Amino acid sequence: MNKRKARGYREFLLILPFIILVAIFSYYPLYGWVYAFFDYKPPFPLTKETFVGLKWFSYMVDNDIKRKQLGQVLLNTFAVSGLSMLFSWFPMIFAVFLNEIKCKPYRKFVQTATTLPNFISWVLVYSIAYCVFNTTGVVNTVMTDLGIISKPIAFLNSSEHIWFKMWLWLTWKNAGWAAIMYIAAISGIDEELYEAARVDGANRIQLIFHITLPSILPTYFVLLFLNIANFLSNGMEQFFVFQNPFNRQTIEVLDLYVYNLAMGSGGYSLSTAIGILKSVVSIILLCVTNGISKMTRGEGFI
Amino acid sequence: MKLRKVTALLLAGAMVMASLAGCAGQGGAGTASTGDAATTSDAGAATTTTDASSGDAAASGDKMVFEIYDAAANYQGMQTGWFQKVVNDRFNVDLNIIAPQVAGDAIYQTRASSGNLGDIVLLDSTDFADCVKSGLVKDISADLGNYPNLMKFKEQIDVYNQGLEGNAGEIYGIPTEMMDTSPSSYSQDVIYSSPLLRWDLYSELGCPDIADLDGLLDVLDQMMQAHPTNDAGDPAYPFSLWADWDGGDGMLGIANVVQLTTWYGEKLRGSMILKPDGTFTPLTDKTASYYKILKFLNNAYRRGLVDPDSGTQDWNSACAKMGAGQVYLMWYSWQVGFWNSQERLENGTAFIFIPVQDQNYYCDADAYFGSGRVFGVGSQVDDAKYQKIMEFLDWYASPEGATFEHTGIKDFNYTVNDDGTYTAINTNALMDNLPVPEEYGGGGYNDGNNAINQWIVSSNSTNPETGETYNKEYWKSWKEATSTQMKKDWQARFNAEEPVDWMKKNNKLVISPNVSVSLDSDTADIAVIRNQCNEIVCDYSWKMIFVNDDASFDAMWDEMTASLEGNGFKDLCDFDQTKHQKELDAKNKYK
Repeated sequence: MNKRKARGYREFLLILPFIILVAIFSYYPLYGWVYAFFDYKPPFPLTKETFVGLKWFSYMVDNDIKRKQLGQVLLNTFAVSGLSMLFSWFPMIFAVFLNEIKCKPYRKFVQTATTLPNFISWVLVYSIAYCVFNTTGVVNTVMTDLGIISKPIAFLNSSEHIWFKMWLWLTWKNAGWAAIMYIAAISGIDEELYEAARVDGANRIQLIFHITLPSILPTYFVLLFLNIANFLSNGMEQFFVFQNPFNRQTIEVLDLYVYNLAMGSGGYSLSTAIGILKSVVSIILLCVTNGISKMTRGEGFI
Repeated sequence: MKLRKVTALLLAGAMVMASLAGCAGQGGAGTASTGDAATTSDAGAATTTTDASSGDAAASGDKMVFEIYDAAANYQGMQTGWFQKVVNDRFNVDLNIIAPQVAGDAIYQTRASSGNLGDIVLLDSTDFADCVKSGLVKDISADLGNYPNLMKFKEQIDVYNQGLEGNAGEIYGIPTEMMDTSPSSYSQDVIYSSPLLRWDLYSELGCPDIADLDGLLDVLDQMMQAHPTNDAGDPAYPFSLWADWDGGDGMLGIANVVQLTTWYGEKLRGSMILKPDGTFTPLTDKTASYYKILKFLNNAYRRGLVDPDSGTQDWNSACAKMGAGQVYLMWYSWQVGFWNSQERLENGTAFIFIPVQDQNYYCDADAYFGSGRVFGVGSQVDDAKYQKIMEFLDWYASPEGATFEHTGIKDFNYTVNDDGTYTAINTNALMDNLPVPEEYGGGGYNDGNNAINQWIVSSNSTNPETGETYNKEYWKSWKEATSTQMKKDWQARFNAEEPVDWMKKNNKLVISPNVSVSLDSDTADIAVIRNQCNEIVCDYSWKMIFVNDDASFDAMWDEMTASLEGNGFKDLCDFDQTKHQKELDAKNKYK
């Protein structure tokens, strides 16, 4: 008994640093939520500010125009997240096809080339986009020289199909990286399965459909559910660098909206309030998808 | 067994330490004042928590480091180069600049909440008033009398501090860029914003009279038709706008539009437009100048005079085009510095003010009471450091200090004539970052230039040692050296010595007197409303510049107005009107 106690004590000590880290870096910051309930304005400390209760929560929706604005922001968020959800099979298929390339050096090359953009920051991606697509950029110059257009087109100013364009940029940047999980899953498939199927006379397509895909489908679902839980967070960097006055209305996702509000001129309390709402909704989404996962697959993922 | 236990404990301890190190890092920074500049610059870069260096400013023989929280600085880190040497030789002090313009505004919040903004603070006056209220700034009234150079500005300092809310004679702040003339005079040759055209292109058209904005567009149109590209063959446009300054300087809307409203004697104050007759009208007023200028830019776009990259490019891209001669209209007085060189002034291809007859130019009077920013001493400094800071500020306001700030180094930037006045030499020192001789501190001139970037004495004040201004452009020797054929042609054409002379002669100058009024800072509600309204105004304005007909222009304007209403624009206007009425009342005393 005493020995077990000592062991438990020791194991507790081993995990203690992580508990402390989580407490400091994940739970202590939640204290910042109090800012949502005050009229906070630097440089005054909170003790000198007035407590306003839920004022900032009701502020978001207290008239039609604000409701419409918030609605538009949510629509953008849902559209961007929805698009990436809708095409979430893309990295999986990409991984499957990549796996079918028999020439190993070529496969490695493709994989590296598609993974690299993931390590380029969005700021650099935008400077590339700017050089290629501005009115004196490569695309416009080539098109003018070929006589396709007479006046340069301001591609970056347009808000048409912006959600789709944003998805394209995201895919260009992320597809290779996202495929890594699936490639790992594919390499874990038992080779005997393939051999048996080949003996039975299955062709390549049949191998993919009856062995590869079913084997990596669980991975796909876990990633999909995690994505749903993250539905409201599309990150802001991408949209921040691509935003301009002409497309802001359709590009401003929730994270960017919060940033623009807080950093523009110190709407700290309001943006904290929105942040709280976002966290709450994200937790609810996570629980719901976990429930769905339990129902459909018989097991949750958390 | 025991050994493993000990190891586990040690590891646990080490990890806790490591995880806390991020928070405790600044604890060690206190030792920096023993003179290790490298350490302090690291500490300065972290800057998120309280700096402890005020605790151990030991004997006065030791080197000190002043942390300067500097709203004007474009550079963050230790002062280096020749100006560092100047300060070091006199005070044995290093300057550590903390620049919110570099580090982001969030640094203001984090430093303020730690209770120590900096040893010296330089803030916009509304922020300064807040900091006084929250106890971040020291009362210097007991000691100010000992410092003769600061006492020269006693009147201005008193007026400023009396304006602080609830002030009972304490003195906290020293205004910046104060002048020695009067609050209602204007003594410069050019004003901050006026239409500036290329003289060669303008004279090529026969120097036509320009009646109004449409006339200006006609002239620009002809220029562009005659010269569709610059010399290198890149497309040139009269207008190349940029979007990253929008909403700046406390004025709602696109910075480029806001600046041009001053051509009609109007000036934005937050969300309100101050008209020349001394009344306010909201920005959304269709008869006021914001609408007029926006329409002007839209007309320019429809005639193909606007660079299609306007709105998506930032200042740096626009500036590169200015330097390459791809822009035919400028408006900031300093903007010409990116094109006008001595050579271009001589061959007549430089930018210069060309009057538009129906315009009436707004300008701020000499900054007698200061330009709006304020110096103060941090409330956490100890006595030894306080003493030294006051000595430093006094020197900073002295003729010697001001000469270093505005004119530069003797025998490197200027030579002394027989009659005691100066002649400028190495005039490209700043632009080309000329190497400074080792005896003056070495390094590049621009690299070592005063990083505080704000002065107590204005460059247009008179240097008592020469009887001329600190600013070289008004020296007799400079005027003689820079009198060019182009300037003579201009003088003959417009029958005036300088742009401001023309404006004064023709009664086209609206001088807004300089006053010292402490303005209310935004409440939390107003801050949010202001930010959102600004975003709405800017987004719609940019779209309006790029529409193709009047109908959609006006439809969009109405849409913008409705959207603003929904976001509390009315409250913002009321707030701004009350806020700036105080200032206006003070100004009207000079009428």
